[in-house]
Amino acid sequence: MISERLKRVILRELELEEFPLTADTVAADVPGWDSLSHVRVIDAVEAEFQLRFRSLEILRVRSVGDLQRLIDARQLGRTA
Amino acid sequence: MRWTWGRLVASAAGVAEWLTAAGVRPGDVCAIVQRHHPAFHPLYLGVCAAGAIPSVLAYPNARLHPEKFASGLSGMARHSGLDFVLTEKALAPVISPLVGGPGSSIRGLLFPVEDGWAPADPAGLRPARAADDPCLLQHSSGTTGLQKAVVLSHRAVLDHVARYAEAVRLDAAADRIVSWLPLYHDMGLIATYQMALAEGVPTVQLDPFEWVTAPSLLLEAISAERGTLTWLPNFAFAFLADRVRDGDLEGVSLGTMRLWVNCSEPVRADSHARFLRRFAPRGVRPETLAACYAMAETTFAATQTAPGRPAKTLAVDRGALAEGAVEPARAERAARICVSSGAPIGGCTLRVVDADRRPLPSGRVGELAIASESLFDGYRNRPEDTARVLSGRWYYSGDLGFEHEGEYYVIGRKKDLIIVAGNNLYPEDIEDEVGRVPGVLPGRVVAFGVEDAARGTEQVQVVAETELAGGPERRRLEDEIVRAAMRLDVTVARVHLVPPRWLIKSSSGKPSRSANRERIVSGALEQPERGVA
Repeated sequence: MISERLKRVILRELELEEFPLTADTVAADVPGWDSLSHVRVIDAVEAEFQLRFRSLEILRVRSVGDLQRLIDARQLGRTA
Repeated sequence: MRWTWGRLVASAAGVAEWLTAAGVRPGDVCAIVQRHHPAFHPLYLGVCAAGAIPSVLAYPNARLHPEKFASGLSGMARHSGLDFVLTEKALAPVISPLVGGPGSSIRGLLFPVEDGWAPADPAGLRPARAADDPCLLQHSSGTTGLQKAVVLSHRAVLDHVARYAEAVRLDAAADRIVSWLPLYHDMGLIATYQMALAEGVPTVQLDPFEWVTAPSLLLEAISAERGTLTWLPNFAFAFLADRVRDGDLEGVSLGTMRLWVNCSEPVRADSHARFLRRFAPRGVRPETLAACYAMAETTFAATQTAPGRPAKTLAVDRGALAEGAVEPARAERAARICVSSGAPIGGCTLRVVDADRRPLPSGRVGELAIASESLFDGYRNRPEDTARVLSGRWYYSGDLGFEHEGEYYVIGRKKDLIIVAGNNLYPEDIEDEVGRVPGVLPGRVVAFGVEDAARGTEQVQVVAETELAGGPERRRLEDEIVRAAMRLDVTVARVHLVPPRWLIKSSSGKPSRSANRERIVSGALEQPERGVA
């Protein structure tokens, strides 16, 4: 399940008004989300959720669902 | 994984035997379409050892539509005469239909990395190849048959890497190259790989896809391996400066670096300045920021800045420059900071010529022409394209620049090529794809590159004529145009929809890219527009 907050930050960073982001969405499906803008999206997500990902974690992200799970795991770790 | 020379050569000998058993003969062209993998290295050398000619091609990324990849490969097969494709089984469904098909030269599809080979005795590794026989084919990018294959002989490559090693004062005992560059690009293949092999310099090769996802990997590798040399397209200087986070730099030292060579896109002073500001605390010194002017047609480099001093910069008057003259800028506002790409390397001569290919004096802007002992032997099977750019011992580059105090400054292009992050894109490919989108008037599209100062590279913009007038319809059309370019793995940063007959035509009757680009950049467009990336 992709949170509205994550969808919003991705769309804002890519300057998209609307795009049906789902857990299975990969960057290649989304206009403007190319290899160069990927780091920008990750930066924006980190800033929004006040998180820092490690390089290895970022390399493992294959889909929007992976990104959501990474955020969830971190936020869970922070509240635990 | 680390290769030693002994293991690499024995493994390459095994590849050569394996390929020969699979039917590869001396002189056959073997396209290598392989993701970053340690086995690439013996595979590439094994093709050479079998007496065949390697051509490293880009592995298609997820964005590129399989049909577009297949049509690009088919175009290369048609023009370059590819005999075998060495690839991964994942691509078999896309490539298999091209094998043995009508008009296709491709005789076989092989999966050496997955099927495996055994190392062999390198003593048998001396195929009867002459110095002037082709050593490799370097393909330009493109998807609709525009790709040209530069043929380089063994002599050209070996002479070139020796000359270039002198220009960067390569020291086999002390230097260590670290690179994230793809090896289908001449900068990666020649500067970071062939030169390392020929000169016996260790080279650390990173996965380009991983680097672009986590750019600090390059800096971590330099620090861990005590790297001294790297080559980067201009955008990478800005990208590293903007995107590497402080947390990733803990314990990273860049003080071993001797040269960060900026090459493959026009060098931008601002990108160097940002890079230096960001990484000086980690040991980057101004004199290590170097530049080089290179192209596949001259094997690689034509000029190089002198090691040990920073690339020179020149503040010139923008207005005068537009008129073709290099004059010192009188006011900062009117200045364009041009960065030198250095002096010609050994074996290379440059001159600046006018539209009739007559030499221009120092301080005048014109096309850069290069005479090099490592000049290519022409575009394979494309005599007309070759004749257009090669005349006597001179190669006419299509790049615009000037000479000042013995150094060359590249400031633009005569040709319509777009360079995004070091990748060459043909506007024709984009226009062809966009032109097929329903709602776009057939043939009434232009694509061009516009300076993207923030990213230190160019961005692609498209202007398309349409009769659609409604807001929602137009927005949908813009989205469809962006998606059409995505199928070519091209990101369109802006779409400008214009009414019929808006586009300015060139003398040939086709819409002119340069005139329409000028019209857009100067703000003459009164249509609503929307940024999409």
